[in-house]
Parts: sequence; C-alpha cells; structure tokens
Amino acid sequence: MNALTTPAPSLLNKVPEVTLSFWIIKIMSTTVGETGADFLAVNAGWGQLATRSVMAALLVMALFIQLRTRRYTPWIYWLTVVLVSVVGTQITDLLTDGWGVSLYLSTGAFAALLAAIFIVWHRLEGTLSITDVVNRRRESFYWVAILCTFALGTAAGDLATEALGLGFVWGAATFGALIAVTFGAWRLGGPPVLTFWLAYILTRPFGAALGDLLTQAKAYGGLGMGAPWTSALFLSVIVVLVAVAQIGMNGRQAARRV
Amino acid sequence: MAIPIPPLRPMIAAFALAAATFAAGCSNSESSNTSAPPPAIDRAPAGVATSPAVSKLGDLSAFRAIAIDVSAIVDKGDLGAAKSRIKDLEVAWDSAEAGLKPRAAADWHVLDKSIDRALQALRADKPTLEDCKAALSDLLHTFDTLTGHT
Repeated sequence: MNALTTPAPSLLNKVPEVTLSFWIIKIMSTTVGETGADFLAVNAGWGQLATRSVMAALLVMALFIQLRTRRYTPWIYWLTVVLVSVVGTQITDLLTDGWGVSLYLSTGAFAALLAAIFIVWHRLEGTLSITDVVNRRRESFYWVAILCTFALGTAAGDLATEALGLGFVWGAATFGALIAVTFGAWRLGGPPVLTFWLAYILTRPFGAALGDLLTQAKAYGGLGMGAPWTSALFLSVIVVLVAVAQIGMNGRQAARRV
Repeated sequence: MAIPIPPLRPMIAAFALAAATFAAGCSNSESSNTSAPPPAIDRAPAGVATSPAVSKLGDLSAFRAIAIDVSAIVDKGDLGAAKSRIKDLEVAWDSAEAGLKPRAAADWHVLDKSIDRALQALRADKPTLEDCKAALSDLLHTFDTLTGHT
C-alpha cells in the first residue's frame, strides 16, 4: 500500500522559519483578514454570503498556488495564511450566527478535530514537524491544521467574550499571558511542536483582541484608531516584513545560482 | 543554512510589543469606563425624548437615534431613503461589537437580532411598508426594553 508508506521528501521545505517576524505577521494578519472581510461584508455592502464565497474561492486559488510552488515563497505563503485566517473565522461565525451552534460545542468540536488531524498526521508521517514540511501530504496536513486552529481560536475567543464577558483589554492581557506561559514552557524544555501549535491557536484571539484595542472607540476603552487606519498600519508592517523575507529569499537563490 | 528552529523565542519580543500597546489601551479604558462619553447624537428628530439610553450595554443613544430616524423615514413612506439610512446603523453597530458585546452578551444578541430583522425588512426584494414599520417598531421597542424605558 503506497499510501501508507512515508513518501521520500520530494520538495524543499515549504514553510518559513519560526522567527520574530513570523509571529508578528501571523498576529497582524488575523486583524487585517478580519477587518478586510468585515469591510467587504458591511461597508461595501456585499453581504455575508457573497463575502464568504469570494474569500473561499480566493483561498482555494492561493492554496493551489502554494501547493504548486517548489519551495517556500514568502508572499504566497503569507497570502494563504491571511486567507486561511479569514475563512477560518468565517466558518466559526457561520456556525455561531448562521446556524445557532453553541460556542461550547464548536470550541469542543474544533479542539477534537484538531487533535484528530494531529493523530492522523503523526500516524502517517511519523512526525508533526513544522520545520520539515517537505512533501505534499505533510503540507496538506499543515494547512488543514492551520485552518482548524483559526476556527478554534475564533470560537475559543468568542466563548471567552460570551461566557466570561472578557472584553478586548482583558482578552489581550489573558491571551498574552497564556502565550507567555507557552513561551516559558518551551524555554524550559517543553515539546517544540506542541508549544508551537498552542501558540498558533492562542495568537488568534490575541490578534483579534489587539486589533480591537486599536480600532475600538475610546469610549469603549480602545485607542480609537478605527478599522481603516489600524488595517492600513498592520498591512504596511506585513507588507514590509514579507517583502524583506521575499527579497532575502530571492537574494539567497541568486547567490546559490552564481 | 539549516538552523534549528526556535519556535517560540521570538514571541517574547512580540509579546513585549503587544504589552506596550496593551498598556496604552488599559490606562485608556480605566479613565473612560466611568465616564464613557456617548458618540455625538446628530439628527435626532425634534420631539423625541433624548433621555440617555443607558442599558447594561452602556449608552445606546447614538444607535437608537439612527433607528428613530429610520423609523421616521419609513413612516413617510420613503423605503429607499430608509434603506440607505439604516446602513449607518449597521455600520456603527458592527464596528462597536467588540466594545459592547462583552458588557452583556445576551442583551447584545437580542438587539443584534432585532437590527438584523429591520435590515432584512428594508432590504427585501420587494420591501413592504407594513413589514418595515413592524420591524422598526420592534427595534425601537427592543431599545426601550434594554434601557428600561418600557
């Protein structure tokens, strides 16, 4: 059975190194993705259905390009992350607002689904490594897991708001503290793969709370920057960091060819 | 150059950055929680009680003022103008979600559903005067219930 054997690495690593700029881009893309989709649905008047369909179609296109590339290409990778962030959020919103699914249920279900993805991934590949995403099957698991973390992070964050009345100020503090604990656990020798994925989940509600902190009116305890300026600021940071990564990558490839 | 990847090392710096932003927001909220000035109410029609619409969600008067305005336009029979005016309510309500919802999620959902129904009535393919009037009247009633003005 060919499907059960581990395919030999056939691609170069397709995902970025986990650096400071990795986490900054990841956190900020959450905000940009969400405010972008919200802008299209409400301000531009597309409505939720059209916005969902367009975002899902864009994600399929971006994933197709990402899976087809031979090596990690920053702009394609991060475009895919932003779109996964939007669609993951929309899945949870559709369940909650559209179908009336309880946030307790969706949080539990996404957590179970994510665990199942990791179990199958580990069984088939013998590793959950996020540094050796070197064949298409691992890459597929990687992206499915990421989509699931965004849906789970959204549901868990919303649950904290609904059940605990956790606003964005305390949300940023709480999820920030949990991220700090995760970081500490990793520093003290905790499993790198587990701590990576925990951080990946936690940075979703953290990024949302951080975005709210900047966008919300001062009357609500925010900085009152508004969604357009916050998105523009975050998007600029993302574009600069991705451009730096892309230029660095192109430079290394050019050097290798010489 | 394959360097062993430190998954979380950079996060401490990211966290520090976020914490700085957070601190700025935190001091902000402390000063504003007590006095939360409502967004300026404009276009509140004359003759409408302008007593502050304070509920568990806080001051809702800015949203209520738009709803009253929409209702007045509907009463004049101009559903097209009402449809464009209610978008102001949709946008304002949507952008304040993160600020309002944590204060009283259940109340937020009641009002959110009520606003949704008013939007649906005005945005129907063939909106009818009765539907729009009923939805707006329900919406104003919801505001009054939440603010204890029944």
